[in-house]
Amino acid sequence: MTRNKTFLIVQSVFCALIAGLLAAAALQLYFDGAAKQAEGDLFYYMYTREKAGEKLLPILPLFFTALGLTIAGLILGVKDEKAEKPVRDEILLKDLGSIQNKAVHQTATQGELYARVAIITLAVCMIIAGIINGGLEDVLAKGATICTECVGLG
Amino acid sequence: MDKTMNQENRKAENKKRTTQRPGTRRLVQLYAALLYNANLKGFIDGHIYTGNLKSVCVPGFNCYSCPGAVASCPLGSLQNALNAAGHTLPWYVLGILALFGVILGRTICGWICPLGLIQELLHKIPTPKIRKSHITRKLSYLKYVFLAVFVIAIPLIYGVGKGIILPGFCKYICPAGTFEGAVGLLQNPVNATSFYQLGSVFTNKWVIMLVIGLACVFCYRTFCRFICPLGAIYGFFNRFALTGVKVNPDRCNGCGLCVMKCQMDVKHVGDHECISCGKCIDTCAQGAISLKCGKITLKGPEIGKNADPEPVIRKRRKTGRVVWGVAIAILVFAVCWFNIIEPAIENANEPAAAIEQVTATSEPEAAGQTAAQTGPETEKQTADTTEPAETKAGEPAEQTADTTETAEAKVGEPVEESPKTQEAAVNLPVGTEIGNLAPDFSTDLIGGGNFKLSDYRGKVVILNFWGTTCAPCVEELPYYEELKVKYPDCEILAIHAKAGAKKAEAFLADKGWDHLDFALDSKEKGIQKLLDVSEALPSTIVLNLQGVVTYKAQAPLTYEKLEALYKEALADPTGKP
Repeated sequence: MTRNKTFLIVQSVFCALIAGLLAAAALQLYFDGAAKQAEGDLFYYMYTREKAGEKLLPILPLFFTALGLTIAGLILGVKDEKAEKPVRDEILLKDLGSIQNKAVHQTATQGELYARVAIITLAVCMIIAGIINGGLEDVLAKGATICTECVGLG
Repeated sequence: MDKTMNQENRKAENKKRTTQRPGTRRLVQLYAALLYNANLKGFIDGHIYTGNLKSVCVPGFNCYSCPGAVASCPLGSLQNALNAAGHTLPWYVLGILALFGVILGRTICGWICPLGLIQELLHKIPTPKIRKSHITRKLSYLKYVFLAVFVIAIPLIYGVGKGIILPGFCKYICPAGTFEGAVGLLQNPVNATSFYQLGSVFTNKWVIMLVIGLACVFCYRTFCRFICPLGAIYGFFNRFALTGVKVNPDRCNGCGLCVMKCQMDVKHVGDHECISCGKCIDTCAQGAISLKCGKITLKGPEIGKNADPEPVIRKRRKTGRVVWGVAIAILVFAVCWFNIIEPAIENANEPAAAIEQVTATSEPEAAGQTAAQTGPETEKQTADTTEPAETKAGEPAEQTADTTETAEAKVGEPVEESPKTQEAAVNLPVGTEIGNLAPDFSTDLIGGGNFKLSDYRGKVVILNFWGTTCAPCVEELPYYEELKVKYPDCEILAIHAKAGAKKAEAFLADKGWDHLDFALDSKEKGIQKLLDVSEALPSTIVLNLQGVVTYKAQAPLTYEKLEALYKEALADPTGKP
């Protein structure tokens, strides 16, 4: 095994480990909290800033080691060389058949031009209709408040 | 011979890489990410931007609950619009998406999407890489399933069919929401109480975000290729898009190197999977591919560049410098506007509005200054410099015990304040933290009448901040109604957040929550700001008989919790510092 390959594998292990530990920390807090809540403690909070800090702190050294390795790897030019070579998946190439690049003309065809103009006109009309029917205000209302469920605060 | 040449090529490549500066595309990606998130002060003060620009969507994937975001996320807005399609047809968001799509297509994904940038940076981590194959090509169709199910079907079925606000993709999958929104807000100590509402949704989304992030390290743009519904939408427009990679048919010899070297699952250059990153332009030995916007060539083949005469090259460079100059000026202006100028204008207008709307009570005067006169900042200072409420109030343990007995005996009936507890409340600092005396305010009620906080001394007051577009808020309001029916003496005021308040009245018309008092907040009233309530909804403040804050958190409540909070406030004369 070459040094290059070893480096890549070590780095993969680090990445997987960090992600795994972060996931495990959250799951542990969740299941502990769920158990406490099941016991009838209405105001037991699964997550608090302190609990999150306690769980994240031991992962930080690993994170910084992986970060250091990444920077070192990028400076030294360590990379998976196969990734930059043309793909040789035979099933894929067969599926692709002949590359239809010529269909993507440098200048738009007449039909494409008409379609483009039609879509732009339609889009502008829709935006105007949306402003009139209050759609714009709805976007503002949603954007100006934190959607707690959307960002996962639920 | 071949081996030696390969080695030399590799050495040359390595040398080129180590001396490589960030390319134009990377700079544009960074620029777009910064421009979308120009509200940098949001990361420091823990609040999101709530200005009018939030009514506009950015083209790329950027969570609107990110503290830095200055405009809205197109996908979140689309789900919200589909959710509300029963009463407001989603023309505006659909029009915006169509306009972005036809002008830029998936060039947005490759050049101005912050999530694309994050994915590419993760993929830079040196690890073994998973290359595209027939399997990844099949998986690339998965994003259409996500689009159909989570973005269209779930919001439509729940919103139109059941009247429940449920942005499926945001709630169950979106890693941008978790990373930019949740983590962006939670990292700030100001939002410490937001942790209280974390539960199964956060845990699921946290794990999903980690899985997607890890996958991006090994597999190029995992989210973009297999999951992103926004990319799927823009993909429909790629063929007609004004901007994108185009092929010169006279030069193309159909060798297919462009497709074989492309990291996306394209079938040909410029198809619905193509993000116009321009890598194929460098790959094509024939110089057949170029990135164009209409007739303007944004990036052309190297051969063409070298073949151009010197004045043309000079003119192109000059144009490039002018474009970058204008772009940087826009960015500097945006950063100054959102972080310095706009907040200064708001602060200058604020005191007049606050004094106009907020009336001070006699109790806070005894404690020092009124909330209206001092403003939120001074309130905090007062809270910091004053000793804890327990010390000032004197014998809090005894008092609590005494009042608990009284409260238990008379739940649901008005409780008379003892002179001892009144004295305790007088000595408390005015503020919005637990244990503080809440600042007084008055507001008009929907359906007529007026609410003045100080008029409800001697009653437990629950202030709930909600919004029509907030699903947990709408889900918990029936619990407040139930509580009010069971305990008529409890005063509940549900205040609609200033954003979208115009539609609240129509929304409430058929809900039947007749026992609750509803009010609308506005920029001029500034109740949310006065009570230092974050933009995270729902938020609840519970005040005891003396108007002391006994509970304040950004978290949805169940009926059981609400009842427990009511009883606790009824029993607690001083609040829990």
